[in-house]
Parts: sequence; structure tokens; C-alpha cells
Amino acid sequence: MQTLDIISVNLWQILISLLNLVLLFLIVKKFLFKPVKNTLEKRQKEIDERYTAAHTAEAEAEQSRAAWEEKLSGAEKEAASILQSATDHAKFRGDQMILEARERADGIVRAAQAEAELERKKATDEIKKQIVEVSGALSEKMLDREINMDDHRNLIDSFLEKIGDENE
Amino acid sequence: MNRKNRYFIVIDVLLILLTVLPILGAIVLKVLTTPQTEGISITGALIYFTIPMPIQDLPITAAQINSWLVILSILGLCLYLTHGLDVKRCTKRQHIAEWIVETCRHLVEDSMGPFFSGYAPFIASILALSAFSSLLSLFGLYPPTSDINVVGGWALLTFILITYYKLKGGFGNYLKGFTEPIFIMAPLNVLGEIATPVSMAFRHYGNVLSGSVIAVLVAAALQGLSSLLLGWLPGFLGEIPLFQIGIPAVLSAYFDVFSGCMQAYIFAMLTMLNVSGAFPEELYQKRMQKKQMKKAKA
Repeated sequence: MQTLDIISVNLWQILISLLNLVLLFLIVKKFLFKPVKNTLEKRQKEIDERYTAAHTAEAEAEQSRAAWEEKLSGAEKEAASILQSATDHAKFRGDQMILEARERADGIVRAAQAEAELERKKATDEIKKQIVEVSGALSEKMLDREINMDDHRNLIDSFLEKIGDENE
Repeated sequence: MNRKNRYFIVIDVLLILLTVLPILGAIVLKVLTTPQTEGISITGALIYFTIPMPIQDLPITAAQINSWLVILSILGLCLYLTHGLDVKRCTKRQHIAEWIVETCRHLVEDSMGPFFSGYAPFIASILALSAFSSLLSLFGLYPPTSDINVVGGWALLTFILITYYKLKGGFGNYLKGFTEPIFIMAPLNVLGEIATPVSMAFRHYGNVLSGSVIAVLVAAALQGLSSLLLGWLPGFLGEIPLFQIGIPAVLSAYFDVFSGCMQAYIFAMLTMLNVSGAFPEELYQKRMQKKQMKKAKA
């Protein structure tokens, strides 16, 4: 069997080799690069989708967290205001009660004073009445006998002394 | 599920066979057709038969057959690697396929720029064809890359691409490029233009061929050395070329594996640099702008 020379240029062989390379290029492109590229793109797409979903979920969570926080702070404020109003109310009530109590005490004192005054008046009236009665009795006695000034004076003095003794 | 799995495995096995069988076929063909030779012979590829063609007869040689078998094998490998690609489940072969694609894309985009990103499969096929062709010599087959015609065809394709991209800057600009820096330089510039593919072809072809030549020479020398030193041994012991064991393997590791891969890389690199260097981006953009202006006017 024949062999080629070490260096032998053949146009057709060169052309065939060129076409071989083009053919291999098409093979590699169609059967290696295209499917791998498709897979990579698909994977990238999937990853992107996952990322978007994760971002959306994160944003939602953040939003709901903010809403809850807002609600919570509102509740705290509400509790504080309730407490405040309760304290105010209680204070008001307490003040009112103290005021009422003081008023009542004043009333009681005033009533007692008034009663004491009344009592005193009554006593004075009684004394007066008794004096009138006594002076009546005295005048009866004086009408029975002659009255001289000295006797009269003595009589009243002794009488008053007597009263004073009685009172003491 | 089970049945699907079985089909999957059957197709896998078929694809592996498609990858391996061409190489085995080439070995069988080589064993059947190589003539017994005495001593050293450094020749070109075997001619199986010749087809009469208009300008020059076309001999179908071992180089041609081997390069077709390599293409078939690469086709099988591609199909095997991309068989059962999945978005989620990552198998080892998918990692390899993705690695190849990504590496080629990065390589092309780094050295050629984003405009040429479509060149990734082309560069990958140059790398694969060149490297696998050179590595055929590991099986004792005739490496197609040590035939000037095979590498010449690739270089011619590169030359066509270079010229195509140079013409993108306008035909007038292309012709003007030859008269720079001065008019007298024109013949040299034309020579330089032709020298690019020729030098690329000869570099690749020469490196691979010299590797096999040196391997043959060293093997012959070792045979001579062993018969000289051990020839006094009685009987057939003296005929065993003991020195031929081991030493050629080391040489083969360099010339076939390292040099083969290196030359493939260099050829791909030169293709990328020459093609991307030939593209006059500014002129092209100017022309595109002019065209758009014309379109807008019309």
C-alpha cells in the first residue's frame, strides 16, 4: 500500500479538512453548547424567580411586621391613656370626696354650733322665765307686806345669792 | 421510572460506544492495513484509495479517515455529556459539560471581546479536534494533525475569517491597509497576510510531525543500542530490545500529550487573536452609523 510523502499539499484534502472543522463546529454548537446554554439559562431563570419570590415574601413580612408594630405601639398608647384617665378620674373622685367630707364636717360643726346657740338661748330664756317667776313671787310677797328699800335690796341679793348657790 | 431508567442507561451505553468505537475502528484498520516494514521509515499517511478529481486526484488517506473518526467520537462525547441535562439534578457529566462551555466562553470573551462571544463553539471545536487528533498517536494511530493538508484546511478557514472581518471595515479600507505605512510596503504586507495562515499551519503540523519523527528515531536508536550492548546474550534473549521499554513512553508523554494539547491551545489562541485583531471596530461602527443615516433619510 502506498503512503503519502511527508509534505504533500493536496487542495481537495485541504478543502475537506476545512469542511470537517466547519462540520465539527456545527456539531459542537448544536449538541454541546446549545443544550448546556439552555440548561444554564433555565437554571438562571429559576434562580431569578426564586429570588424575586423571596424578595416579595421578605417585603410582605416586613410590611406586616411594621403593621403589627404600629398596632402594638397604638395599644400601648391606648393602655397608657386608659391608665391616665383612670388615674385622673380617681384623683377627681378622691378630691371630690374629700371636699364633700369637709363640707359635711363643716355642716355638722355648724349644726352643733347652732344647737349650742339654741341651747344657750333656751337656757337664757329659762333663766329669764325663772327670774320673771321669782320676781313674780317676790312681788307677791312684797305686795303682802310693806316694802322698804333696804329690805327689797336685801331680798334680791339674798335671792340672787341663793340662785348662785343653786347654780354652783 | 424503572423502565425510563433502563432506557436512559441503554442510550448512555450506546453513546459511550459511539465515542469509543471510532477509535477502536481506527486501531483495527491500522492493524489490518499497515504494511510490514523493515527498519525505520518516516512517511506520510497511508493512502487507502484515490478518487479522481478535476484539478488534483484526491487520495483518501489515514489522516482523512482518522479525522472523520475523531469527529464521530467527539459527536458521541458531546451527546453523552449532554444526555440527561437537568436544571436541578447535577451529575458529574453535567458538571463537565458546563465546565467546558463556561471555560470556552470565558476564554473567548477574555481574548476576543464580547462582540465575538459567538465564537465559543468554534474555538471549542478547534481545541477538541486538534487535541484529539494529536492524542490519536497515543494509540499508535496516525495523527491527522501531522498531515499538512488537515492543519492547512483549518488555517485556511482562519484566513477566510480574518479577511471577512477585515472586509467589515469596508473594501476600500481593506485595500488601503496594504499600503501602510508607505506604498512600497504593499508586497510585503500581502506576503504578511498570507504568512499568517501558512505559519499557523506549519507550526502545528511541524510540531506534531517532529514529535513522531523523534519518537521513531529514538525507538530505532534504542533498538540499536540494546542489540549492541545485549547482543552477546545467548539465543532469543539477545533479540529483545530491552531499552525500548519505558523510555519511549516518557518521550510520548511529552510529544503526544503535552505537545499535542499545547499546539491545540496555541492554534486556538492564534485564531482568536488574529480574527479579533483583524476586526476594525471603529471603522465598522462608522459604517454602520452611515448606513443607519442613509436608512433614516430614505
